[in-house]
Amino acid sequence: MPVYTFRIQRNQKNAQGTLESRYQEYTLELNETTTVLNALEELKGNQDGTLTFRQSCRSAICGSCAMKISGRTRLACKTHVGSVARDGVIELAPMANQPVLKDLVIDIGPFFRKVHQIKPYLEEGPEKATTVERSSYDQVNHVTQCIMCGCCYSDCTMKEVSEEFIGPAALAKAFRFVSDPREGQKTARLQELSEPGMMWSCTRCAMCIDSCPKDVKPMEAIVKLRTRGMQKGFVDGPGPRHALAFHQDIQKWGDLNEFTLLQRTVGILGSIAELGTALHLLKKGKIPSPFPHQAQGVEQLQKIYKLLEQNPIDVETKAKEVVPE
Amino acid sequence: MSLEFAYYPGCAAKQVQKEADWAARAVARELGITLHAMPQATCCGAVSLRESKPAFSLAVAARILSEAEAQGRHLATICNTCLQTLSHANYRFKNEPELLEKINSVIVQAGVRAYKASINVYHLLWVITDQVDPALLRQKIKKPLNGMRVAPFYGCHNLRPAEILVAKGGESADHLDRLIQLLGGAPVAYNGHDKCCGFHVMLSDATEMRTMVAKNCLSAKDAGAEVMISPCTLCDMAMGAYQKPAENAVGKEINLPEMNFAQLLGLAMGINPDTLGISRLHVDPSAALVARKVL
Repeated sequence: MPVYTFRIQRNQKNAQGTLESRYQEYTLELNETTTVLNALEELKGNQDGTLTFRQSCRSAICGSCAMKISGRTRLACKTHVGSVARDGVIELAPMANQPVLKDLVIDIGPFFRKVHQIKPYLEEGPEKATTVERSSYDQVNHVTQCIMCGCCYSDCTMKEVSEEFIGPAALAKAFRFVSDPREGQKTARLQELSEPGMMWSCTRCAMCIDSCPKDVKPMEAIVKLRTRGMQKGFVDGPGPRHALAFHQDIQKWGDLNEFTLLQRTVGILGSIAELGTALHLLKKGKIPSPFPHQAQGVEQLQKIYKLLEQNPIDVETKAKEVVPE
Repeated sequence: MSLEFAYYPGCAAKQVQKEADWAARAVARELGITLHAMPQATCCGAVSLRESKPAFSLAVAARILSEAEAQGRHLATICNTCLQTLSHANYRFKNEPELLEKINSVIVQAGVRAYKASINVYHLLWVITDQVDPALLRQKIKKPLNGMRVAPFYGCHNLRPAEILVAKGGESADHLDRLIQLLGGAPVAYNGHDKCCGFHVMLSDATEMRTMVAKNCLSAKDAGAEVMISPCTLCDMAMGAYQKPAENAVGKEINLPEMNFAQLLGLAMGINPDTLGISRLHVDPSAALVARKVL
């Protein structure tokens, strides 16, 4: 059996309450399909009882054992050592973007406070429907697979630089309620989600899609939330204004008119605030032409746009039907 | 194998990042890749159009893909976001025949040829690393990088979501690393290599965007990078042109030359720096290039 080296981040608070961090190495002879969690238990049981990590169900259902494994956040119970070893080394660290308590254990509190911010329960209200069509599950099924493990939150590139951002899991959860026919406050939810730090602050880096162990695809839910928010008229912000600029440009020019995009996205005052940056870009001629090149046959797009406005077609992705086993 | 592609440079390469387009054309010529113009192609709409007008965005993509298909060629781009947007639409068209039929029924009414979902969407980088004969590429290297430590910055939309891309995506992607090695450089392993450049939140979350740029560049610099390269015109804009604003935002000096992968490839091939638009870079790479005898 191959020998694996586990390079584990050990974290401990000192007497002053500040976290002291160091790496400690352990070696184990393991089958390559052994899970990281089993390896950790072996280490704790036979090599170092002080090593601290969270675990519970061992079946990728509870989400407790999420941790950084070789650079990406994964569930230790679902990850084979052979799939994450780099030259025989597996690096383990606590989840990112959350306060560390000890070794691989983080305080999951801030993550859940973000989730609570979107009111993760059905609310009474004027938009409540009393019948639920089978097709309603098309949108809800994907996001209800979420186990709140926090992998997406830990790998989120916006969370890394923003305390305020609500994070992918909470937004996916919000989409679940916005899409539920029984929800009474769909529009009010979309209004709240249009505020700064909510759905428009996602960079669309798709990291959450790849790091989710349950295939929830949070970013896809965020894209759909934005569509629904704009459809309800919540278009007053740089995010929606920017998104809405594209379809006008594509019909008129074919290409994006980057010259006027800034002013249309952040307004006149915002553009003045950006002036310093604009002058900096100008130094290397990086200011676009106000008259972009016009593609051949853009009138085709004007016609397509009109046809779709007259007869809208549903193109939303739909979750696969879940059949009880 | 004939390397003929319908070439889709994307909006940024036609305007603010035109040096990436110059460099792409110059290296393609040397490597026997023919990039055919797409005179009818429009902006892909990026994720923004998917958000504001989901059906229209698929129609726009189908029209672009159909133009390449009518030429009998796969499509190659040099913008990661165009790559992801067109790959996403193409993935859906290939896997959801009913959706393709719905979109086709609309675009044909406007005189657009129906798309048959028979082509693939590639990044020019993937073409160079996966389809060009490595022996030919090696033979074209006149000015090897002499061990230059180069940070590969992949850009999100070159990697994710992995399932929609025709090349190796996600964590297993190694295109840029392999290219750097082929050029005689040493790829730098650093934390930011698969992170976000922040381009798409440049206007809505300006401080966060600049912090991302600074973090990515500083993590590369701390790992010993002399130069950073990216396969994306938008990442180039963020990591290069916005590096100074990022320095101002975090109050730290960075000074890491960043350029498009095709520019560094072109330099290693001995192509004239003016042809590659090197003087349009915000962080001057001359000293780093001279130190390794590339210039």
